[in-house]
Amino acid sequence: MGIGATHIDHIVIQSNDSAATAKLFADQYGIEIKRTMSRPGTRAHLEFAKLQEVIVEFAGPGEVQPYDEVKARLGGFVLAVDDIHAAVTSLRESGWDVGEPHPAVQPGALITGVRGRTNGVPLALIQYNARPLEENSQ
Amino acid sequence: MKTKRIDHIGIVVKDLQQALQTYETHFGFRPDPARGGDVPALGIKNAFVPVGESDLEFIQPTSGEGPVATFASERGEGTFMLSLEVEDIDAAVAHLRGLGARVGDPRNGVAFVSMKSTHGVNLQLVQRS
Repeated sequence: MGIGATHIDHIVIQSNDSAATAKLFADQYGIEIKRTMSRPGTRAHLEFAKLQEVIVEFAGPGEVQPYDEVKARLGGFVLAVDDIHAAVTSLRESGWDVGEPHPAVQPGALITGVRGRTNGVPLALIQYNARPLEENSQ
Repeated sequence: MKTKRIDHIGIVVKDLQQALQTYETHFGFRPDPARGGDVPALGIKNAFVPVGESDLEFIQPTSGEGPVATFASERGEGTFMLSLEVEDIDAAVAHLRGLGARVGDPRNGVAFVSMKSTHGVNLQLVQRS
Protein backbone atom coordinates (compact mmCIF):
# COMPACT_ATOMS: atom_id res chain seq x y z
CA MET A 1 0.00 0.00 0.00
CA GLY A 2 1.22 3.47 -0.77
CA ILE A 3 0.30 6.88 -2.05
CA GLY A 4 1.87 6.60 -5.48
CA ALA A 5 4.63 9.10 -4.79
CA THR A 6 6.96 9.52 -7.74
CA HIS A 7 9.50 11.94 -6.34
CA ILE A 8 10.17 14.83 -3.99
CA ASP A 9 8.65 17.72 -5.89
CA HIS A 10 10.01 20.55 -3.82
CA ILE A 11 11.61 21.43 -0.57
CA VAL A 12 11.15 24.69 1.28
CA ILE A 13 13.84 26.83 2.85
CA GLN A 14 12.19 29.40 5.07
CA SER A 15 14.01 32.67 5.62
CA ASN A 16 13.30 36.07 7.05
CA ASP A 17 14.89 37.39 3.83
CA SER A 18 14.24 34.83 1.12
CA ALA A 19 15.89 36.94 -1.58
CA ALA A 20 19.13 37.13 0.42
CA THR A 21 19.11 33.41 1.19
CA ALA A 22 18.37 32.54 -2.43
CA LYS A 23 21.25 34.78 -3.51
CA LEU A 24 23.59 33.07 -1.06
CA PHE A 25 22.69 29.65 -2.46
CA ALA A 26 23.07 30.95 -6.00
CA ASP A 27 26.41 32.63 -5.38
CA GLN A 28 28.00 29.91 -3.26
CA TYR A 29 26.42 26.70 -4.54
CA GLY A 30 25.61 27.54 -8.14
CA ILE A 31 21.90 26.98 -7.57
CA GLU A 32 20.35 29.16 -10.23
CA ILE A 33 17.21 31.05 -9.31
CA LYS A 34 14.69 30.48 -12.09
CA ARG A 35 11.67 32.34 -10.83
CA THR A 36 10.70 34.99 -8.30
CA MET A 37 7.18 35.80 -7.21
CA SER A 38 5.01 37.32 -4.54
CA ARG A 39 2.21 34.96 -3.70
CA PRO A 40 -1.16 36.52 -4.54
CA GLY A 41 -3.15 37.46 -1.49
CA THR A 42 -0.23 37.24 0.89
CA ARG A 43 2.89 39.20 1.66
CA ALA A 44 5.18 36.27 0.93
CA HIS A 45 8.21 36.59 -1.29
CA LEU A 46 9.18 33.35 -3.00
CA GLU A 47 12.19 32.43 -5.11
CA PHE A 48 12.56 29.12 -6.93
CA ALA A 49 15.44 27.04 -8.21
CA LYS A 50 15.43 23.55 -9.62
CA LEU A 51 17.97 20.79 -9.13
CA GLN A 52 17.02 18.03 -11.53
CA GLU A 53 13.54 16.93 -10.42
CA VAL A 54 13.44 18.81 -7.11
CA ILE A 55 12.39 22.44 -6.84
CA VAL A 56 14.04 24.43 -4.06
CA GLU A 57 11.66 27.10 -2.77
CA PHE A 58 13.02 29.99 -0.75
CA ALA A 59 10.09 31.43 1.18
CA GLY A 60 9.99 34.58 3.24
CA PRO A 61 8.02 37.70 4.03
CA GLY A 62 7.28 40.29 1.41
CA GLU A 63 8.72 43.05 3.53
CA VAL A 64 12.18 42.58 5.01
CA GLN A 65 13.42 44.55 7.95
CA PRO A 66 16.85 45.84 6.90
CA TYR A 67 18.29 45.49 10.37
CA ASP A 68 17.37 41.82 10.64
CA GLU A 69 20.09 39.22 10.76
CA VAL A 70 19.24 36.82 7.96
CA LYS A 71 18.01 33.59 9.47
CA ALA A 72 16.87 30.58 7.50
CA ARG A 73 15.93 27.02 8.22
CA LEU A 74 14.86 23.95 6.39
CA GLY A 75 11.09 23.69 6.16
CA GLY A 76 8.94 20.92 4.81
CA PHE A 77 8.67 19.24 1.46
CA VAL A 78 6.11 18.27 -1.12
CA LEU A 79 5.73 14.82 -2.63
CA ALA A 80 4.53 14.44 -6.21
CA VAL A 81 1.90 11.73 -6.57
CA ASP A 82 0.23 10.07 -9.54
CA ASP A 83 -3.31 10.48 -8.21
CA ILE A 84 -3.85 12.96 -5.40
CA HIS A 85 -7.44 11.93 -4.76
CA ALA A 86 -6.44 8.27 -4.40
CA ALA A 87 -3.55 9.26 -2.12
CA VAL A 88 -5.82 11.37 0.07
CA THR A 89 -8.40 8.58 0.28
CA SER A 90 -5.74 6.05 1.21
CA LEU A 91 -4.30 8.21 3.97
CA ARG A 92 -7.71 9.18 5.36
CA GLU A 93 -8.74 5.54 5.54
CA SER A 94 -5.70 5.01 7.73
CA GLY A 95 -6.72 7.86 10.02
CA TRP A 96 -4.52 10.61 8.66
CA ASP A 97 -5.66 14.21 8.70
CA VAL A 98 -5.36 15.33 5.08
CA GLY A 99 -6.82 18.45 3.56
CA GLU A 100 -9.00 18.62 0.49
CA PRO A 101 -6.97 18.94 -2.73
CA HIS A 102 -7.14 22.46 -4.13
CA PRO A 103 -5.56 24.29 -7.06
CA ALA A 104 -1.86 24.94 -6.65
CA VAL A 105 0.07 27.89 -8.03
CA GLN A 106 1.51 25.55 -10.66
CA PRO A 107 -0.68 25.37 -13.76
CA GLY A 108 -2.95 22.35 -13.79
CA ALA A 109 -1.81 21.10 -10.40
CA LEU A 110 -3.70 20.19 -7.24
CA ILE A 111 -2.08 20.30 -3.82
CA THR A 112 -3.02 19.44 -0.25
CA GLY A 113 -1.39 19.27 3.16
CA VAL A 114 -0.85 16.25 5.40
CA ARG A 115 -1.19 17.16 9.05
CA GLY A 116 0.17 15.33 12.07
CA ARG A 117 1.96 11.98 12.32
CA THR A 118 4.65 13.21 9.92
CA ASN A 119 7.46 13.23 12.49
CA GLY A 120 7.47 16.98 12.67
CA VAL A 121 7.79 17.45 8.92
CA PRO A 122 5.48 19.91 7.18
CA LEU A 123 4.33 17.71 4.33
CA ALA A 124 2.14 18.21 1.28
CA LEU A 125 1.13 16.23 -1.79
CA ILE A 126 0.91 17.60 -5.31
CA GLN A 127 -0.37 16.16 -8.56
CA TYR A 128 0.46 17.80 -11.85
CA ASN A 129 -1.90 17.66 -14.81
CA ALA A 130 -4.77 17.16 -12.39
CA ARG A 131 -7.13 19.81 -13.77
CA PRO A 132 -7.79 21.55 -17.05
CA LEU A 133 -5.31 24.32 -17.74
CA GLU A 134 -8.10 26.82 -18.47
CA GLU A 135 -8.92 26.77 -14.74
CA ASN A 136 -5.70 28.68 -14.14
CA SER A 137 -7.07 31.78 -15.73
CA GLN A 138 -9.90 31.97 -13.22
CA MET B 1 30.77 25.38 -8.18
CA LYS B 2 27.75 23.57 -9.50
CA THR B 3 25.39 21.61 -7.30
CA LYS B 4 24.17 18.53 -9.16
CA ARG B 5 21.06 17.59 -7.21
CA ILE B 6 19.46 17.16 -3.84
CA ASP B 7 21.09 14.01 -2.55
CA HIS B 8 18.89 13.63 0.50
CA ILE B 9 16.85 15.36 3.16
CA GLY B 10 17.70 14.44 6.74
CA ILE B 11 14.79 14.03 9.15
CA VAL B 12 15.36 13.62 12.87
CA VAL B 13 12.97 11.19 14.52
CA LYS B 14 12.63 9.87 18.05
CA ASP B 15 12.05 6.27 17.04
CA LEU B 16 13.63 5.16 13.78
CA GLN B 17 11.78 1.85 13.44
CA GLN B 18 8.44 3.44 14.15
CA ALA B 19 9.05 6.20 11.59
CA LEU B 20 10.13 3.67 8.94
CA GLN B 21 7.08 1.55 9.64
CA THR B 22 4.78 4.56 9.37
CA TYR B 23 6.18 5.74 6.06
CA GLU B 24 6.32 2.23 4.59
CA THR B 25 2.81 1.28 5.66
CA HIS B 26 1.08 4.49 4.69
CA PHE B 27 3.29 6.00 1.99
CA GLY B 28 4.82 2.90 0.45
CA PHE B 29 8.38 4.08 1.16
CA ARG B 30 10.86 1.26 1.66
CA PRO B 31 14.30 1.78 3.18
CA ASP B 32 17.35 0.74 1.20
CA PRO B 33 18.70 -2.28 3.10
CA ALA B 34 22.20 -1.66 1.73
CA ARG B 35 22.59 1.64 3.52
CA GLY B 36 22.17 3.01 7.00
CA GLY B 37 22.53 1.46 10.43
CA ASP B 38 24.27 2.40 13.64
CA VAL B 39 26.86 5.16 13.40
CA PRO B 40 28.39 5.32 16.89
CA ALA B 41 30.89 7.98 15.89
CA LEU B 42 28.01 10.38 15.19
CA GLY B 43 25.76 9.13 17.97
CA ILE B 44 23.01 8.16 15.54
CA LYS B 45 21.35 5.36 13.70
CA ASN B 46 19.83 6.04 10.32
CA ALA B 47 18.07 4.65 7.28
CA PHE B 48 17.81 5.90 3.71
CA VAL B 49 14.53 5.78 1.84
CA PRO B 50 14.66 6.45 -1.91
CA VAL B 51 11.94 8.73 -3.28
CA GLY B 52 12.60 9.34 -6.95
CA GLU B 53 16.15 10.55 -7.53
CA SER B 54 16.68 11.68 -3.95
CA ASP B 55 16.49 10.02 -0.55
CA LEU B 56 14.90 10.74 2.76
CA GLU B 57 17.33 9.98 5.58
CA PHE B 58 15.63 9.18 8.86
CA ILE B 59 17.98 9.79 11.78
CA GLN B 60 17.54 8.81 15.41
CA PRO B 61 19.99 10.07 18.03
CA THR B 62 21.53 7.27 20.07
CA SER B 63 23.50 9.42 22.46
CA GLY B 64 22.95 12.70 24.23
CA GLU B 65 25.70 14.47 22.36
CA GLY B 66 26.16 15.78 18.84
CA PRO B 67 24.12 17.94 16.51
CA VAL B 68 21.33 15.40 16.04
CA ALA B 69 20.83 15.00 19.78
CA THR B 70 20.90 18.77 20.18
CA PHE B 71 18.29 19.21 17.45
CA ALA B 72 16.09 16.52 19.01
CA SER B 73 16.41 18.11 22.42
CA GLU B 74 15.63 21.63 21.25
CA ARG B 75 13.10 21.03 18.48
CA GLY B 76 12.01 17.42 18.74
CA GLU B 77 11.44 15.80 15.38
CA GLY B 78 11.61 17.44 11.95
CA THR B 79 13.64 18.32 8.89
CA PHE B 80 17.23 18.59 9.99
CA MET B 81 19.60 18.76 7.08
CA LEU B 82 19.86 19.22 3.34
CA SER B 83 22.47 17.21 1.50
CA LEU B 84 23.68 18.52 -1.86
CA GLU B 85 25.54 16.37 -4.34
CA VAL B 86 28.57 18.00 -5.91
CA GLU B 87 30.89 16.68 -8.61
CA ASP B 88 34.15 17.27 -6.77
CA ILE B 89 34.00 17.60 -3.00
CA ASP B 90 37.55 18.90 -2.65
CA ALA B 91 36.98 21.57 -5.29
CA ALA B 92 33.65 22.51 -3.71
CA VAL B 93 35.20 22.93 -0.28
CA ALA B 94 38.04 25.00 -1.70
CA HIS B 95 35.56 27.15 -3.61
CA LEU B 96 33.42 27.80 -0.54
CA ARG B 97 36.40 28.54 1.66
CA GLY B 98 37.59 30.98 -0.97
CA LEU B 99 34.29 32.79 -0.53
CA GLY B 100 34.81 32.90 3.22
CA ALA B 101 32.47 30.06 4.15
CA ARG B 102 33.33 27.80 7.03
CA VAL B 103 33.41 24.19 5.83
CA GLY B 104 34.76 21.10 7.51
CA ASP B 105 37.36 18.91 5.90
CA PRO B 106 35.90 16.30 3.57
CA ARG B 107 35.78 12.81 4.98
CA ASN B 108 34.64 9.81 2.95
CA GLY B 109 33.21 12.13 0.32
CA VAL B 110 31.19 14.19 2.79
CA ALA B 111 31.73 17.70 4.14
CA PHE B 112 29.60 19.78 6.46
CA VAL B 113 29.10 23.51 6.05
CA SER B 114 28.88 25.65 9.17
CA MET B 115 25.38 26.97 9.71
CA LYS B 116 27.00 30.35 10.27
CA SER B 117 27.78 30.34 6.56
CA THR B 118 24.33 29.31 5.35
CA HIS B 119 21.97 31.70 7.17
CA GLY B 120 21.33 28.82 9.56
CA VAL B 121 20.46 26.03 7.14
CA ASN B 122 22.15 22.75 8.03
CA LEU B 123 23.97 21.81 4.82
CA GLN B 124 26.01 18.79 3.85
CA LEU B 125 27.96 18.33 0.64
CA VAL B 126 28.45 14.86 -0.76
CA GLN B 127 30.36 13.44 -3.70
CA ARG B 128 29.05 10.21 -5.18
CA SER B 129 31.49 8.08 -7.07
